[in-house]
Amino acid sequence: MIVASPKPIEEVINTVKDCKKLLILGCNECVTVCEAGGKKEVGILASALRMYFAKQGQQILIEERTLERQCDHEYLEEIRDIADTYDAILSLACGVGVQFTAEKYLSTVVLPGVNTCFLGATEERGLWTERCQACGSCVLASTGGICPVSRCAKRVLNGPCGGSTKGKCEISKEVDCAWQLIVDRLTALGKMDEYEQIAPLKDWSTDRAGGPRKVAKEDVQS
Amino acid sequence: MQLRDKSEAGQFIVLAEMEPPKGVDINKFTANAIRVKEQVDAFVVPEMNSAVMRMSSLGASLILQHKGLPTVMQVNCRDRNRLALQADLLAAGASGVENIMAVTGEDPSFGDHHEASAVYDIDLIRLLSTIQGMAKGKDMAGVDLIGAPSFFCGSTVNANVRGKALQLEIEEMERKIEAGARFFVTPPVFDMADLDEFLQKAPRDKIKILPTVLLLKSVGMARYIDRHSDHVSVGQGLIKRIMTASDKARECAQIAADTIAAAKQAGMDGVAIATLGWEHMLPQVLNLKPTESLDTRQDDPNTSWGKHAGGK
Ligand code: SF4
Ligand code: SF4
Repeated sequence: MIVASPKPIEEVINTVKDCKKLLILGCNECVTVCEAGGKKEVGILASALRMYFAKQGQQILIEERTLERQCDHEYLEEIRDIADTYDAILSLACGVGVQFTAEKYLSTVVLPGVNTCFLGATEERGLWTERCQACGSCVLASTGGICPVSRCAKRVLNGPCGGSTKGKCEISKEVDCAWQLIVDRLTALGKMDEYEQIAPLKDWSTDRAGGPRKVAKEDVQS
Repeated sequence: MQLRDKSEAGQFIVLAEMEPPKGVDINKFTANAIRVKEQVDAFVVPEMNSAVMRMSSLGASLILQHKGLPTVMQVNCRDRNRLALQADLLAAGASGVENIMAVTGEDPSFGDHHEASAVYDIDLIRLLSTIQGMAKGKDMAGVDLIGAPSFFCGSTVNANVRGKALQLEIEEMERKIEAGARFFVTPPVFDMADLDEFLQKAPRDKIKILPTVLLLKSVGMARYIDRHSDHVSVGQGLIKRIMTASDKARECAQIAADTIAAAKQAGMDGVAIATLGWEHMLPQVLNLKPTESLDTRQDDPNTSWGKHAGGK
């Protein structure tokens, strides 16, 4: 899933402070799972903002709504009738949802309420960690299912750099060395002979190097 | 006379681009430059034009500097992060490079290593202001430099666009000037009148504008540019001139010589000559006497206004 974290409240206040009427728009998918932009977080943020502006003696009407998804035309249509009655929509969806909302409702200011961070997983309640950078040509088959692109600080593709110490990455003792994990896993799988092979030169044009990307599946296009 | 002084004195500036070699044989590279050193104020050394891998601009600039040839080193945002850019600027400054041309750089997909990842750690405006900041003795982290480099700094401007795009280009140009750019190289211009609209809007008192004089190599190249480049028009008049000439290469050099003369006549601040690997033709381009009648526009009914070129 896409992992996001709430923007600092001061930053949010600063972007919405000139509004008279604000809609905080949550999303029921990834940002709900990572507890950054679901119905619950919409409510918490709305209360915090109401309290802040009341203290300032500032009149601002803040309403709440959470859609099934903000990266989908169908669900975004649900606010068609009300979107332009707000000075701004503060979207707590990932960057995709914010942009899709903004593309749909051209006359309303759409603001981001979270920082979209990475593609990751829930390690435990309240802790999400990165697993993928969507590089566009997955190498997991040869790395024991552990991604060196997203989990190695240097994105090295042929074994550890010189900085790996006791299974930890040179950037921090808190971070596992991805290549130590890969070697351990390949060893357990009896596949260390694969490790000896030099990885083919990585094609970064499927990553961001080739500009904005798209995926087309013609057989399902109408 | 240094480029900066010449620019300040309002004299006509002649820059010539010297494409660094793809390899370590620098004989032709240096010989071509030495041959025209009296007529050229500084040699522009591109940083992997069109994302084609070659010797770095820093390395090739230093080679020319050591031969006593002044250079304009190019730096781009594509290949280096803020650490490497600043490091190279220090190396350049300490080794006698006095002029910098900062550009964004074409995407790797245009070049010969299209699977390469691009850097774009900082953008062009940041790069320019970094150069400005370094001249004041600070790096991007605000740390004091032991000795500040002082560069005469320029960039590019897409002067051939029209209408709304031109307005945006002028605004971008203002930002670049604010960030320290003092000269601007345009995309290739074959008819100085193509720059009229741009020149009316450009803040000419603050900066120098140097149209690129591109040496055409063949009818095919002229036609190709005319058809496929959105921002540059060659015009049927010139295409016909090359087509009917008995010595086509000489005619191409003559056209470039005429274009330089036309730039002078039109009151441009100078020119930047680009020969794209045909640097051995520079002596001809610089020594041929301009054709008597310079006005190629008259027999050129198809001048295509409103085309665009990649002013990266
Ligand atoms: S190799 Fe690329 S696609 Fe596969 S997990 Fe890593 S970043 Fe994601
Ligand atoms: S220590 Fe391991 S994870 Fe860290 S950069 Fe080196 S190889 Fe990558």
